[in-house]
Amino acid sequence: MAINWPTRAAEVLNEEPLVIKNDKFWYHIHSYGGWGKFFQGLRAKKLLATRCANPKCAEKRLWLPPRAECPDCWHDMEWVEAPQVGTIFTHSTVTYPGELFRLAPGTPLISVELEGVCTKLMSWLKDGKPAFGMKVKAVFNTAKPTNTILDLAWVPA
Amino acid sequence: MIRFGPGNLRIPKFEKPVYVVAGGLTDYRKKYPEKNTCQLCTEALRMAVEENDLKVDPEKFRRMVNWCVYSQFADHFGDQLLAAAKIHDYLGFDPLGNVEIKTGGATGGSAVLAAAQAIASGYANCVPVVGWERMDEVTTKVGNSYIASAACKDFESELGWMYAAYYALMAQRYQYENSVPHETLAKIAVKNRLHAYYSPFAQNPGKYTVEDVLKNEIVSDPLTFLECCVMSVGAAVLILADEETAHKLTDKPVQLKAICGGSHTLRTADRRNMPILLLPNETEATYKEYFQGRRHEWPGFSSFLAARMAAYLAYNMAGIKDPVEDFDVLETHDAFTISDVQTYEDIGLRPYGRGHEFIDSGDAYFDGRLPTNLSGGLIGTMHAVGATGVFQLVEVLWQLQGKYDKFHGDPKMWTRYGKKKPADWKSLQAKNPKRGCAISHAGTGSHVTCAIMEKP
Ligand SMILES: [Zn+2]
Repeated sequence: MAINWPTRAAEVLNEEPLVIKNDKFWYHIHSYGGWGKFFQGLRAKKLLATRCANPKCAEKRLWLPPRAECPDCWHDMEWVEAPQVGTIFTHSTVTYPGELFRLAPGTPLISVELEGVCTKLMSWLKDGKPAFGMKVKAVFNTAKPTNTILDLAWVPA
Repeated sequence: MIRFGPGNLRIPKFEKPVYVVAGGLTDYRKKYPEKNTCQLCTEALRMAVEENDLKVDPEKFRRMVNWCVYSQFADHFGDQLLAAAKIHDYLGFDPLGNVEIKTGGATGGSAVLAAAQAIASGYANCVPVVGWERMDEVTTKVGNSYIASAACKDFESELGWMYAAYYALMAQRYQYENSVPHETLAKIAVKNRLHAYYSPFAQNPGKYTVEDVLKNEIVSDPLTFLECCVMSVGAAVLILADEETAHKLTDKPVQLKAICGGSHTLRTADRRNMPILLLPNETEATYKEYFQGRRHEWPGFSSFLAARMAAYLAYNMAGIKDPVEDFDVLETHDAFTISDVQTYEDIGLRPYGRGHEFIDSGDAYFDGRLPTNLSGGLIGTMHAVGATGVFQLVEVLWQLQGKYDKFHGDPKMWTRYGKKKPADWKSLQAKNPKRGCAISHAGTGSHVTCAIMEKP
């Protein structure tokens, strides 16, 4: 019994030189691992950061994005709630985002400085016009969460 | 790491001197349906071996090679895992050993570093470095998404899926702290696209005015399209050898005095402040006034610690006292105009906060003290990512060998790529250059290499 030729053809985009179209149809399974708690926290309107639990660690500052292990001593870290009011450290409005962007073009991206946090979290401004030093407060997408970093945004405080 | 221990700042050392003997390129295009990746790499290798006045024929050269290094940024783009194996075989180097190097935008620099390590240790004595990128399989929008996969996928990629946006955040902060006139930034785009105008290899050449750049459409404020690098298809090859082999191959070997790497967090968010790591041309006094005395608020969002680290190691390794004085040509990774200004400071062309003076003083121009990106750079000529760091060193090599005109001025080079040499073509051969430097750069500064080549 002869085996049939494949039925799914590749579209020819150009004949000379020959160029064809290869389709792709699959998803990736994204494991947050030890950082999942942060994204679960967003659903409960909590901004969860981490601090090193090693009493001998020199730094012991608050990390957000959180790290499950301390970069300074590799010890496990503890979850701590970060302040939900901060200031805009820098901002830019992205006119031409890449393919997978889920927000509207023209969304202001911001980096937020929070008291006691040693990092400057990248996020987006949901309302208002961004400015350096502007006071902002966290808002959370709890109704229909995407379970990504986009579930956290900021509005003028 | 924000505090260095004694081992962390050890100056690298080559056990044996490392030489560069030849380089080859393809032209760079947005789309290249006429040639597949294997063919593009062959074309660049052929130019390196057949058109660099080597003293051996291609067949004899092939018998001299004992290790190969491949340089490709993203398997996403090429859609071919282990592409290096396919190319290595296509180039006829089977069954020699090889490695493929990957450090984002700095892949080319890191690949040359890996080849140099092989030569310097005595592991090998003749090593081609082959770099390429094929960025025309997906739309520009998907391409930007792929590039943004080189940001942190958990906490940052979703915010724009666009690298220009991550640079724009740094740019805005840099501007807030330093208020560089947008005109100065535009001058970089004008300069590099003009240099590209004289290059047959260039993808985006042009005679633009500062006004054109300022009026151009914005990608992510403050960056306009004309201030951003191109996305290319193409390849580049650089051939490294030890001293004895170099002299067998060419009468004009150039020594790779140093090539060193630095790194910094992938997420800009995670950049903690530390005291400035001083270069040989800086002292504590250089920064007495910096940031109104807030000297410890470095590198923040406006400086690339990875570039500073790479320059610190390479300058000390090569005995560089003052880069503007000691270098005669420089290639920077001008992915964006503003990141170029940031880099001027990181590599000590001007102290922090004063990078724009390198442009405004005229130093960076062809007739200035340190002509920069005579190749046309990433803004004007190419950014086929895996090839980029290799391309930069090929262009520096040709400058040091006095071969700029041979590769850019011969009308046949232009017709080879279906172009016509402009009637007002001008030679950008630097006047008897002795020493050149190239900076290869990844991410928002995740990896940077600094390479220093010198004519013996
Ligand atoms: Zn710790």
